[in-house]
Amino acid sequence: MSTAVRRLPGLGPRDRVSGVRVDGDGVRARARQEAVLDVFFDGRRILSFWLHRDGVRDGDGWLFAWPKTLREFLEGTADVRVVVTRTGEEVFHGEVSFGSGRGRVAVVNQNGQPISLDKYLRRVVAFDTRTREELEPMLDAIDEVVAALREVGIEAFLAYGTLLGAHREGKVIGNDSDADLGYVSRLSHPVDVIRESFRIQRALVAHGYRITRYSALAFKVDVEEADGTIRGLDVFGGFLMDGYLHLMGEIRERFEESWIYPLGSTTLEGRTFPAPADPDRMLAAAYGASWRVPDPAFHFEPPATTVRRLNGWFRGLRVGRARWDRIYSRVLQGMPGPSPFIEWVADMEGALGTFVDVGCGRGADALHMSERGEPALGLDFQPRAFATAQELSVDNHLVTYWPMNLLEIRQVLAVGAIVAHRPGRTVVTARHLVDATKKPARDRLWRMCRMMLSGEAGGRLYLEFLVKDGSDGYAGEQRVRRRKAAKIVAEVEQWGAQVVHRETIPVSDKPGASKVCRLIVEWRPADATEGR
Amino acid sequence: MPPKDAEKAGKKDGGMVERLRSTRAGEALDLRRRVRRLEAEVQECRALNIRLAELTDIVTELLLPVAARDEDKLAELLEKYRQSV
Repeated sequence: MSTAVRRLPGLGPRDRVSGVRVDGDGVRARARQEAVLDVFFDGRRILSFWLHRDGVRDGDGWLFAWPKTLREFLEGTADVRVVVTRTGEEVFHGEVSFGSGRGRVAVVNQNGQPISLDKYLRRVVAFDTRTREELEPMLDAIDEVVAALREVGIEAFLAYGTLLGAHREGKVIGNDSDADLGYVSRLSHPVDVIRESFRIQRALVAHGYRITRYSALAFKVDVEEADGTIRGLDVFGGFLMDGYLHLMGEIRERFEESWIYPLGSTTLEGRTFPAPADPDRMLAAAYGASWRVPDPAFHFEPPATTVRRLNGWFRGLRVGRARWDRIYSRVLQGMPGPSPFIEWVADMEGALGTFVDVGCGRGADALHMSERGEPALGLDFQPRAFATAQELSVDNHLVTYWPMNLLEIRQVLAVGAIVAHRPGRTVVTARHLVDATKKPARDRLWRMCRMMLSGEAGGRLYLEFLVKDGSDGYAGEQRVRRRKAAKIVAEVEQWGAQVVHRETIPVSDKPGASKVCRLIVEWRPADATEGR
Repeated sequence: MPPKDAEKAGKKDGGMVERLRSTRAGEALDLRRRVRRLEAEVQECRALNIRLAELTDIVTELLLPVAARDEDKLAELLEKYRQSV
């Protein structure tokens, strides 16, 4: 494992860090060899970084600039310490003033909980801010999910950082913030292990858990703790094929079944949990031969062949999603009003059997249609997007919101079939969806619309998307990219539909306004059996 | 230049591209391009695993229960399907 040893900074004799200075820009230091450094504010670890990998050249040394995720907190004064992770040597200690310098720097979230940055410099509530008692609910959650998986025939074990902490120190890793479980399927073909993962998902949902799928072989299980907070536990699936262990997210290594089964056990915070038969080999597969040396800034760097395999077999269900997840991770206040588009649609249509808004976002248009007396369904892949609308409409039985990911065909076909069976005329809208998605997602949209709209009662699809990027910043505001109307028309025609109306209108009467195209699309009943 | 365009261009300028290709550097470039295309095609094939699993899942979960409830209808659908393939 020479690569892993080379990858780990801090093993060389010339591993000296000197000239460390801290100010509003970041941390400056000199070091001939790569070094991992921890930064503490007022005695609490805030982040760790690799000086060369994460820094930039600065004179005869390096500058690690404060990441964007930290900068907004840098106002006031802090007692800053910089420590070499491996040796614990303090290379800087002093009072540092940020911004106006008034008050103490407070790195806390909206609820006032102390936060730190993880290895990818994302904000997390790390374990080192919690007491042993505060960890108890998470340990209960691990027990609960392991038991639930055992019930469906899956032998799960602690994995990644959770296994590392347990096996190395018997404790959670201070800079870690979540718990990871893994399992290795007894099946050995990608198709079979995916189907098994779907089966596990169904069984867990039947037990009342909410599942968020990361890939065809990994998902998150939400466990509700005693005080009502929701904790997500990651479950990474794996399998053995051709002498290799493949484990989501990043492992493909030569491995033997006897290194996993029969499972052994390990101790975490005084409690016993299942572990692979040979945890040393599992940790070496995950973190390299140097797994025993703590590295809070560790980045996975699997070989390209591993990434290609795991991507090709199991990924692609979340393309373009991170951006929207981020947008909806904030608490969005209030409820927007209906769009001009939905008012136009409502004017064109009479009484409906079902109204469906695909990519409904906050859900305002579906809510509006239900308030007009139409049974409405809002679909979006991020349930947090429509959470407020859902809360506002608990007494409104005409509107429903379902999570649906266009890239998961099981969801698309099931929703399509259910809506197709509903009586009466169906109207589907997709506002700023085709200009926010790429062709694979759009193909699923056309397929679903064809299912929903080619029944006897008929129906229509209404589209609105950006066709001309003006100087008004509309594209950025809506987070869309211009599409050629002819291209979208060609796509729907390929799926057996006809465009019965087409217009292009400015989004406002201001000069330089962007323009959107509106299409009305129909599938005649006969079209349903044609095409793909 | 994508290989197709290279072929067209080759024809237009009297085999210039062909001559360049036959040099050692040209061959290396050509091989690199072919490996890139092969990698993309391998990824396309790998993506079929997920599609196959999704469809198998929906068939086993939905169609079989449907069959159990309405034999006649399914037989009719199956026959229609058989005739159409």
